[in-house]
Amino acid sequence: MFLINCPYCGERDQSEFTAGGEAHIVRPKQPTELSDDQWAEFLFMRKNIKGVQLERWNHAHGCRKWFNMVRDTSNDKIHAVYKMGEKPPIK
Amino acid sequence: MLNFNTPIMDTKEFSEIKISEIEPILKINLRGKNRDFVTKIGKELSIITPVDPNTSSSNEKLNLLWLSPDEWLIYSNEKIDLNGANFLEDKLYNEISKVNLGSITNVTDHWIMINLSGTKIFELLSADCPFNFNSFKNSKGAVVQTLVNHIDVVIHNKNINNVNLFVRRSFTNHLWSWLNDGASRL
Repeated sequence: MFLINCPYCGERDQSEFTAGGEAHIVRPKQPTELSDDQWAEFLFMRKNIKGVQLERWNHAHGCRKWFNMVRDTSNDKIHAVYKMGEKPPIK
Repeated sequence: MLNFNTPIMDTKEFSEIKISEIEPILKINLRGKNRDFVTKIGKELSIITPVDPNTSSSNEKLNLLWLSPDEWLIYSNEKIDLNGANFLEDKLYNEISKVNLGSITNVTDHWIMINLSGTKIFELLSADCPFNFNSFKNSKGAVVQTLVNHIDVVIHNKNINNVNLFVRRSFTNHLWSWLNDGASRL
């Protein structure tokens, strides 16, 4: 259990949030021109790394807004939280 | 709002806590993003639209709660006549929805309002709520959306040791039982 600083509501318990997977995956502009492998790559393949990862989260039981987070998956340390559409503050 | 039936229609008093369902109360959900929308709400309701997170504003008739950067909830202080015409909803619909400034949804039947008062209400809520009420309980007008006993609620700090809790109709009986059970043990 850890605390997440929602960019809209402030600091809340993790139980109010849902994780939305890896962030900044760009949807192909012409999906019909992709091969099955390329489409599967976009749709299913995720880095799932142990370490610092850029993720999408939703404050499902609060303001219901989506936002991005830089989180270390090995120890749940949150390095940064930023709004949708903004660039990650650290790489 | 046909066949409106309140699920509880009851008041329970314990040594330090009083729990009562206050219905029917007018509730309207407002959604809109631009500045004109925010200005329009304030003008139509004669109330300052709260734009700071977790805050609210009130006048003698209405309360306006911040729910998210583009969503607000209006609720009335007094009980309403369900058979009468809803002038406020019509007025907002004509001034906001019709001109595509935002959306107006009557959620009177969607949410049920439970009033909790007494010195131990935050002790009761904290029994199964992830939210830290320490600063909330001293901030008159504060609003929080959180979970109580795994149920989504909106809590409005109306006054010191007096909160209005909004819960979805289908969860009301369950939460009511939980609140009463908890309050009887404090």
